[in-house]
Amino acid sequence: MPKMSMTMETGELLLFHVKVGDQVKSGDVLFEVMTDKIDMEVEAPADGVIETLVGNPGDVIEIGKPVLIMLTETEVMAFDFGGDTPAPVETAAPTPPPVAPAPVVVAPVVAPTPPPVAPVVVAPVVVAPVVQAVAPVITPAPIVAAPVVTAPKIVNTSVKAVPKARVEAANRGIDLRTVHPTGPDRTITFSDVNSAQVDPAVLKRQAANKALIAKGIEMTRGIAQASFNRRAHANFDHAQLISAWAKVLRGRPDIAVHQHVGVSLIIESKYGSALPVFRDPDLISVEELRTLVSSTSDAAKNGKVPIAMLSGGTTTIFDLTTYSMSSVTPLLFPNQVTSLTIGYDSESTKNISLTIDLNICDFYDGALLLDALIASL
Amino acid sequence: MLTMAEAVREAMSIAFDERPEVFLLGEDVGIYGGAFGVSGDMYHRYGSERVLDTPIAELGIVGAAVGAALSGMRPIVEIQFSDFTAQAMDQIANQAAKIHFMLGGALHVPMVLRTPQGSGTGAAAQHSQNLEPWFASVPGLKVVVPSNPADAKGLLLAAIDDPNPVIFLEHKLLYKIPGRDPVPEGSERIPLGVAKVVREGKDLTIVATGIMVNKSYEVCEKLAAEGISVTLIDPRTLSPLDMQPVYESVEKTGRLMVVQEGPAHAGFINEVIAQMAGSSSFGSLIAPIKRLAGMNIPIPYAPQLEKAAVPQIEDIEAAAREIVKNWR
Repeated sequence: MPKMSMTMETGELLLFHVKVGDQVKSGDVLFEVMTDKIDMEVEAPADGVIETLVGNPGDVIEIGKPVLIMLTETEVMAFDFGGDTPAPVETAAPTPPPVAPAPVVVAPVVAPTPPPVAPVVVAPVVVAPVVQAVAPVITPAPIVAAPVVTAPKIVNTSVKAVPKARVEAANRGIDLRTVHPTGPDRTITFSDVNSAQVDPAVLKRQAANKALIAKGIEMTRGIAQASFNRRAHANFDHAQLISAWAKVLRGRPDIAVHQHVGVSLIIESKYGSALPVFRDPDLISVEELRTLVSSTSDAAKNGKVPIAMLSGGTTTIFDLTTYSMSSVTPLLFPNQVTSLTIGYDSESTKNISLTIDLNICDFYDGALLLDALIASL
Repeated sequence: MLTMAEAVREAMSIAFDERPEVFLLGEDVGIYGGAFGVSGDMYHRYGSERVLDTPIAELGIVGAAVGAALSGMRPIVEIQFSDFTAQAMDQIANQAAKIHFMLGGALHVPMVLRTPQGSGTGAAAQHSQNLEPWFASVPGLKVVVPSNPADAKGLLLAAIDDPNPVIFLEHKLLYKIPGRDPVPEGSERIPLGVAKVVREGKDLTIVATGIMVNKSYEVCEKLAAEGISVTLIDPRTLSPLDMQPVYESVEKTGRLMVVQEGPAHAGFINEVIAQMAGSSSFGSLIAPIKRLAGMNIPIPYAPQLEKAAVPQIEDIEAAAREIVKNWR
């Protein structure tokens, strides 16, 4: 279930447009969803075959939970290439139909050969946030393959630890995945956590931030935020802004909580606010990004955002200039460390406001980030 | 030093002297003195009006006791082997346990059912069972499992006082053994529903029932000599169950091992594990909870196999050593 609006937590599945066994093309409508704000048709992120319908019409489904399972060609290819994801044996796997008749723009960092041999390893594509960015298709615009830089590192999430080790790790801010297990069956023991080293820099930063928080910084739902404002010239468009901001963030891996940069742009439509995510937008040219932003904005205004673009945001941009407003109450989405608000300042200037999560970065980080952004615009 | 059989007899005698409505009935409890000699000379001291030899008919024996209890008496039933309670289960589970509740609290059943249980006597599968979970899973029954003569005396006196039906499970192998502590003189009661911390340590918490308390105690002594200190907890009553000392101990030791004689599958001791797993003390555990219990088989006749079918001292010792060594 994709997140389609800012406040969305669940979506009601209205109806399926497909049934098990259907061959679908990228962009075909898969199902319709109703949320508190928006009704939307969700499209196939890639060509493939419908394997399972997980939900039933009328079900209220949490965001991130599967609605249906689709087998894609890439999944079949992963099997063919001996990828380490054991693909289910699919005797009826579809033979890859020729795709991409339209011009395909592939980011230079991706292997130069066009799909279908893209090195994208996608496990059975669950239509949910884990979907690797597979060509978001917006007809009739040209097909643009979103850049795939590195496949997300598969971390072992099935960490085994005794209860007290978990309590201790939580108290000390230790990620159990970093602790070497010495217990039976590779289980993390209490003493493993006790002797685990925490990066002193992290500890120092946490301690400093805790002190600041204690001094009474604005706290909202447990998040301590700070906002910074600066005036900038008005001579940039969304593509330039998104690209520049992504570059700035990529230069600060120490405050990143994700392995990619996903810039979420809030787009207003009569269906409600949509939040398409541009994944690693600084790794394609600004011209390509501009085409993508423009086609995505048009699609969003018509209530259609490719499902692959509805997840993976690590930062959010909210542009208020068309409303002649200069600022807005800062907001941070869960798991995001930063957000930008662009406001009207004058004919030739804009007001850029940065909100940061003080649990992750401090005041100087915020000042440096905003400074770097404005310098690069 | 009194043995458990003598302590039980002493408790019954005190209750006989205190209350005229207390009486004993069962197979061979009179002239013969009980299959395990528990009632001994009581027939001669109190007469055939108060120590009743019955026919071999468990359902009738318990039914008569339930009826007597409903009409103001305080019967003590002895069932010769706990395995035979199966014959009397309707009276135990459907009548004794339920009448108080079916009649809106108007009547109660102050009956005690004493019965020897357990393996180790070479009596094979139909005379050697540990049936603790049968009774512990019936609301309306209290279940007492004494592990030593002193506890047996105080707990039995409390059980006779209790207005509810109480199942009192005595282990055959403990009858002839004196306890570590002398049996107190007098008529002091030990309240039902209060666990006993037998000894305190900092490395491991063992919760054991009945005869397994004694086996575990020997292990504790042995490990103490090596610097491993163990807290041993005897719940004493299975229903109601007192978990508080278990929580408090596990918060100190971080390790829990439970030991029972009966089969592991759906055994009583699993209740201790379940309550621990659902408690806030769960976060104190630094080791997986270890369970030692009987095998899921009928008790074999061959002595070596009978021994192998239930936890022995060596098993408890090895498991205790392993949990302390592996989980730090």
